Amino acid sequence: MRSYLHIKGKNLWKLCALVVLGIALACCGEQITSVDQPATAAVGSVVPITVHCDIPTVGDGGPDYLIFGFLVPKGWKAAQNTTITYTSKQGNGTMSLIPDGTLPKKGDGLTWSAYMKKTFGNGGNLIDDMEWVAYQTDKAYSHTGGVEFIVDLNIKTKVGADNNNMLVKLGYTITDSGNGFTSDGNGTYYSVLLGNTCFEVTGGSGDLVDFCNPQLTTIDPPKSLDNDFVTLTFDGTVTDTQLSGASEVYLCAKAYTSDGKTINVCEQTSKTLLKQTTATSKKYQLTFWPRSFFNAGDTQTITRMEYFLTDKTGKVKVGYGNTDAPFTYTFKCG
Amino acid sequence: MLLIAVFMMAVSSCKTEKIVPGSEAPKDIAGNWRVIKATRNGTDLTSIIDFSQFRISFTDKGYTLVNKLPFLISKDGAFALDDPQYPFKITFTATGDKPVSTAFTYPIVNGKRQLSITFSPGCTNNTYVYVLEKAN
Repeated sequence: MRSYLHIKGKNLWKLCALVVLGIALACCGEQITSVDQPATAAVGSVVPITVHCDIPTVGDGGPDYLIFGFLVPKGWKAAQNTTITYTSKQGNGTMSLIPDGTLPKKGDGLTWSAYMKKTFGNGGNLIDDMEWVAYQTDKAYSHTGGVEFIVDLNIKTKVGADNNNMLVKLGYTITDSGNGFTSDGNGTYYSVLLGNTCFEVTGGSGDLVDFCNPQLTTIDPPKSLDNDFVTLTFDGTVTDTQLSGASEVYLCAKAYTSDGKTINVCEQTSKTLLKQTTATSKKYQLTFWPRSFFNAGDTQTITRMEYFLTDKTGKVKVGYGNTDAPFTYTFKCG
Repeated sequence: MLLIAVFMMAVSSCKTEKIVPGSEAPKDIAGNWRVIKATRNGTDLTSIIDFSQFRISFTDKGYTLVNKLPFLISKDGAFALDDPQYPFKITFTATGDKPVSTAFTYPIVNGKRQLSITFSPGCTNNTYVYVLEKAN
């Protein structure tokens, strides 16, 4: 008898826990429960990704559209290369791009895409060349009746339109068109899942773009031509190199031109000096106009460059990944 | 009858108002201009690039560039404003090239005319703004 009561009490506790959990789910709005995403894919291949969502409804609200944001490298041109459908017990349908003219109610005048970027940034990616592509469902749903929508978003996206190999953290967010990325007494009306693992694109002919791992050097803007101003940053905090502790760091570069020539600029002067951003930052920067830096002729275009960093004597050279191989950068926009 | 009276009143009331055209002076941008502020995608470049030698010199219809830097055009030529009184757009036609236009504002800041020009000399995603002021 005692034993029976004991079990009953246990069940009661279980029931209570379930009720509490149920309330928690109902109050806390949309949830991305998990994402199925491959670890790697070849440039140009179509990758299936499934985003599993749980949308409990409570109180009165809506009808609202389910909003979905997909964080991808700009170079994939995902808006043109992606289709999304959804499946749920309550019905299936498609998701389409939200036009820039359709603004979120609580986005302070930003587009959905910009609102996502403002809220979630680059999702842990280290190069600011990502974009949030915003979609909404073809049908709206009400928040009434305590219905729980278990929805799968089925994404098919062609990766690597820019033909670049890369390591990147993809990101996903959901919300509804009525509430956006807000919280109130009823809970949080959105869910975001930013990549912990890096998705790898292979088989491309372009440079490897690594959004995941800190790089010894970065170039800003990440996509630029020889007629842009480019800022080269050497980040001495990434790893110890032969230049650790050097008071001055210089650029030693070779440009490849459209007419098949090369131009070397490897000197240790004010022209090639990277300045430390602050006295102890170990980050050194040089902003230059490649056309002028390499003294390209009027009819020449610089297509790419290879470079090292050197000390004041020019004898100590640091290259890609702290090796003897040069860093490479291709001047292109796509 | 009443309708006609109302109509007549309405018509005559409109006639009493005459808008006097404002005498906004045509914008004269002739002279030598230097960069006092420059940004790339919102990042300030003014202190990290030497703009001190760069000049753009406007004459009546033409312009010349001195000590070139990335700009809308890289060769000398002719320019035109879309409206001489209220210009919003400036068009540069480098000799031998197609005309290129860009947004442009012409505010007075601290009593001095400024010329603010937005352009993309490299990739179209990279936007630069040069704020120019007349050089003495």
